[in-house]
Amino acid sequence: MYASPFEYARASSWQEAVGLIAEEGEDARAIAGGQSLAPMMMLKMAEPAFLVDIRDVAPRTIERDNGMLRLSALARHADLEASPDVAAAFPALGEAAGMIGNVRVRHRGTIGGSLAHSDPSAELPCVAVAAGASVTTLGPSGERSVPAAELFVSHFTTSLDHGELITRVDVPALQHGQGSAFAELIRRPGDFASVMVCAVVRLGADGRCADARVVVGSTADRPLDVTAAAESLRGAELRTEAVAAAARAVADTTEIGSSTHGSEAYRREMVAVLTRRALLKAAARARGEGAHE
Amino acid sequence: MSVDAPLATPARHGVDGPYARDFEEKVAGALRYADDWTLPGMLHGAVVRSSLPCARIDSIDTSAALGIPGVRAVLTADDVPHNVISEEASGLGLDPVIMPMLAHDRVRYDGEPVAVVAAETQWAAEEAAALVVVEYEEVPGVFSTEDALADGAPVVHAHGNRYVAWHLEEGDVEQAFADAEVVVEATYRTQHVDHAYLEPEAGVAWIDGDGVLVLRVSTQVIEHARTIAEMLRLPHARVRVIGAYMGGGFGGKEDMTVEPYLALLAWKTKRPVRMVWTRQESLLARQKRHPFTMRYRTGATRDGRITGQEISIVGNAGAYPLLSTRVLFAGAVNATGPYRFDAARVDSVAVFTNTVPTSAFRGFGAMQVVFAYEQQMDRLAEALGIDPVALRERNFVSQGDRRATGESIDTGVGVADCLRTVVDALGDASPSTLGKRVGIGYGCSMQPYGRSVFFADRASCWMGLEQDGTLVIRAGVTDLGAGQAASLSQIACETLGMTIDQATIHIADSHLTPLTGGTFATRQLYMSGNAALKVARELKAMLEPVAADLLGVDAGSLEWGDNKVCATGRPDHAITMGELSRAAENRSVMPYCHSTFAAEVGEFDPTTGRGRSFPDYTYGAHGAEVEVDEETGQVRILRYVACHDVGRAIHMQRVEGQIEGAVAQGVGYALSEEVQIDEDGACTSTLFADYLIPTSLDLPEIRAIALEIHPGKGPLGARGVGEPPIGPPAPALAAAIHNATGAWMTQLPMTPERILAAMREPVA
Amino acid sequence: MSDKVRITLEVNGRDVDAWVTTNQPLSEVLRTEAGQTDVKYGCGEGVCGTCTVLLDGDPVNSCLIFAIQADGASITTLQGLAAPDGSLGALQQSFLRHGGSQCGFCTPGMVLTAHWHVRNSPETDREAIRTALAGNFCRCTGYGKIIDAVEAYAKEAGRVG
Repeated sequence: MYASPFEYARASSWQEAVGLIAEEGEDARAIAGGQSLAPMMMLKMAEPAFLVDIRDVAPRTIERDNGMLRLSALARHADLEASPDVAAAFPALGEAAGMIGNVRVRHRGTIGGSLAHSDPSAELPCVAVAAGASVTTLGPSGERSVPAAELFVSHFTTSLDHGELITRVDVPALQHGQGSAFAELIRRPGDFASVMVCAVVRLGADGRCADARVVVGSTADRPLDVTAAAESLRGAELRTEAVAAAARAVADTTEIGSSTHGSEAYRREMVAVLTRRALLKAAARARGEGAHE
Repeated sequence: MSVDAPLATPARHGVDGPYARDFEEKVAGALRYADDWTLPGMLHGAVVRSSLPCARIDSIDTSAALGIPGVRAVLTADDVPHNVISEEASGLGLDPVIMPMLAHDRVRYDGEPVAVVAAETQWAAEEAAALVVVEYEEVPGVFSTEDALADGAPVVHAHGNRYVAWHLEEGDVEQAFADAEVVVEATYRTQHVDHAYLEPEAGVAWIDGDGVLVLRVSTQVIEHARTIAEMLRLPHARVRVIGAYMGGGFGGKEDMTVEPYLALLAWKTKRPVRMVWTRQESLLARQKRHPFTMRYRTGATRDGRITGQEISIVGNAGAYPLLSTRVLFAGAVNATGPYRFDAARVDSVAVFTNTVPTSAFRGFGAMQVVFAYEQQMDRLAEALGIDPVALRERNFVSQGDRRATGESIDTGVGVADCLRTVVDALGDASPSTLGKRVGIGYGCSMQPYGRSVFFADRASCWMGLEQDGTLVIRAGVTDLGAGQAASLSQIACETLGMTIDQATIHIADSHLTPLTGGTFATRQLYMSGNAALKVARELKAMLEPVAADLLGVDAGSLEWGDNKVCATGRPDHAITMGELSRAAENRSVMPYCHSTFAAEVGEFDPTTGRGRSFPDYTYGAHGAEVEVDEETGQVRILRYVACHDVGRAIHMQRVEGQIEGAVAQGVGYALSEEVQIDEDGACTSTLFADYLIPTSLDLPEIRAIALEIHPGKGPLGARGVGEPPIGPPAPALAAAIHNATGAWMTQLPMTPERILAAMREPVA
Repeated sequence: MSDKVRITLEVNGRDVDAWVTTNQPLSEVLRTEAGQTDVKYGCGEGVCGTCTVLLDGDPVNSCLIFAIQADGASITTLQGLAAPDGSLGALQQSFLRHGGSQCGFCTPGMVLTAHWHVRNSPETDREAIRTALAGNFCRCTGYGKIIDAVEAYAKEAGRVG
């Protein structure tokens, strides 16, 4: 099926892109990899009248800058998956990126595009929230920084203004004693996840949990930070029983909407299973065990 | 690299070169499928479909559609001279049920065609199709067979929702159950599945210089040309169908797909018309496999001998019959599986519902029942405390045993060898690990090949030697990618002692190639393979005296090989095929031959359920080792072995390919595929992303073993292998899951959620 | 009807000028304007891999890219893997030898993805090949002989330990 006709321009800088969209108005959108926008347009679920192609406005850099992983918004999922800097700084990000769609999607889709698209079933929004990431945006009013935790409002809806483009994603690098893990339940390789969990833990010098963050994705209209439900972990040794109890608590409080992927009861149970698995893996990594899974 | 560059000499490495031309073209990217065909002035067609499953049509307004620039036709039912795709003349004396090409006064399923558009561009056609305004009045419908069979249910067709009922009975069933010391009973349910071939439905139609309406389409059956002619009220000789090499068929291109719409548009506009269905409309509205609800009662003695089988099958025919009578027949005849019984009773009914019509799909009724009869054996084994393999071996049929139709099996039965092979190949289950339970299970089956013998099946073929000794073959086979054409070339060439690069085969042209019947029912190797063998032998016999004369030896002292004929034992004293051909012609022995292979004929009485059904069967056994995640219910197949007795493998690599491919489809059927239709009749799985066919990561290394034990009725003793391997995966996996977890699975697909739920059911 | 714009593509080493509407997918333009009928349509959703082409060396869904986005890009289709003399490339020959093609419809996308994987992997094996091809659906073969074909090619190319 054909997308509705549109006008097209290629921008050569972020500024130019922002300017073009501001000029063309509400029906103008940016397109980078297009792996989310193009299919929506072809199914007539989106009908922008003007596309601004931002694929080449900036290099697809991935940089490590002391405690921060700085990603160009145009970094592709394949780039994140392959990057040794990502693997060192926040492994769950590269792992999650490697689970997005298929190899072709990963060679076009960008992190900026994925975050801006705000699909609750997408991996990167969930990881971004768990990582405490923030995005830098450029809009008609200038530049600003938005924490990922405040970015995702609902299905395909962010807190950004129209024409405000994500230019960079900053991810705090894990420190010694921290570990991350990402787990998803998929019906088939490449599928959208039925349930996903990203967990980050920090162990104190005593080996007990000093801090944890758990974010559940794919069950509601946005990633859910359910860390509060896992409060019991604070000060606990992150071994099976404590973690299982926390995982059950997370599952009990998580919002679960309806889905063709399975019943609410099953998916709620899977939240508990994946939360437990992700926490245990993150904890193992925090201890320096099983660095490569 | 230009698309026009010719292919150089094909690779001759490896044991299988030279290669059949179509496979060379496929890997070169040169093969022209149905949509790779452009004609000057070609229009693009699109179908307008109902968005309601059950409604009366009050009006259709095409004016807005006609207003789109570039639109050349917007047609509805009134524009079709004879608006009938099929009447289901099954020979059973059933009332005809008309399936229209375009819905006239009512629609009966979500996605039913209502109008058709042709325009200068694909885009304009789509725009116009979206602008056709249909006023519907929804009426109550039925969306499950249970609802359809309830008293007072709305009827899909005037004569009622029960369409055909087969009843087979052999022996004294009451006595058999009285003799039984154990009876196991269960109900099994299978789902709607889609063929999901990668090439969508496609074709081009045009009127040629002789006024003949020509269609070049992706189809398994070129003989539909007659139906197309009748729909347009044209003489049959004025319609010609060319079957392009298909990008997969599996039964989904056995009924017509784009043909009627292409024909109508080309005929009305007098211009070439192209039509390609989108994947989404194909998933929505093109015919699916019949879901079966199967109630089984199986009785046996304490030492494991089956006494009685009582079976009831209800098949969901959807909104129109298509091939439902045949599918439910195949289900009935094969419902008892490859097992003896004292007595059996089978009832098999097709029921209409307001859902997508169901029809042919690899396995065709005989594969759904495998899930049921194999699990009955496993339940029986557990109830009796007998090993499931031993129980099967105790009861396997042999040549001479009777079926529920009263007929006897008349060829050798290799199923026990297959099962033994698989058991030995798999050995013991790998140990379970924390959180993951491992189990092994087996599934056996018998699947017919060849059409029911009361159809008096035939296939014809023509072969001729050119003056330079190359061979031209003409056969109406359609090729769905399994080497249908290549096999005929191979059979012909091997018979004549030639290499296949010396042969050109023309296939699938209803005017220019002798008709062989369609590619379905695992009949093509059996029918056209035998036809090719027959013709090649007759041609050889015609040429033998000529060769003998030229070489100065007896006709019995000739050796055919390497594209030459030589005197026995004297390879230096030879003539080329070209010399032979020219010499024959000079003697007025024209070096070509046409012949027909007629399959055995038998009779079946539908009212008594007695008589002969299928010509023969292919037997097999599969084994699967699975690992089940105890917490999620997810299944990983660790190892899989599939073994069939194929009688004689004409081309072993292709036989293995058929087995492996059918296993893959069977695994999808077993674990993940489901066309989802909600309780209001709406299809909710129209995205390919949601129709879960197996990827490479969903399958293990599949070990295919083709045994050549008991000759079948195909050429050189071959048995058909296209369909047989698709049935055993579901029960083999169900058995493995049971072995791993104790769960009994009665519904397909066996999703992780269902497996988890079954694991938690209290043990009966 | 929209106005057409002119784009230039390099397709299998040759320059192609095409007039396209903005909403035409790359797959369609390759088939109709560049004559590359070896680019196939399977689903239009980007999931099946049938429409795979290499764009500036990367495997992409040509059905999900508007042709205009690809202006100036270098595209390789299956026919672009042929040897300089027009004969089958080594991977294509391996598919033929191992029975990796039945109906052949997945073959263009499958071979391109496999080619890309082997060329970009210093080392590979059956499992890695199986994983690399997970986004290319085949409904005919069950994947076994496809993996055989790719493994054999990878061995020849020195990529299998």
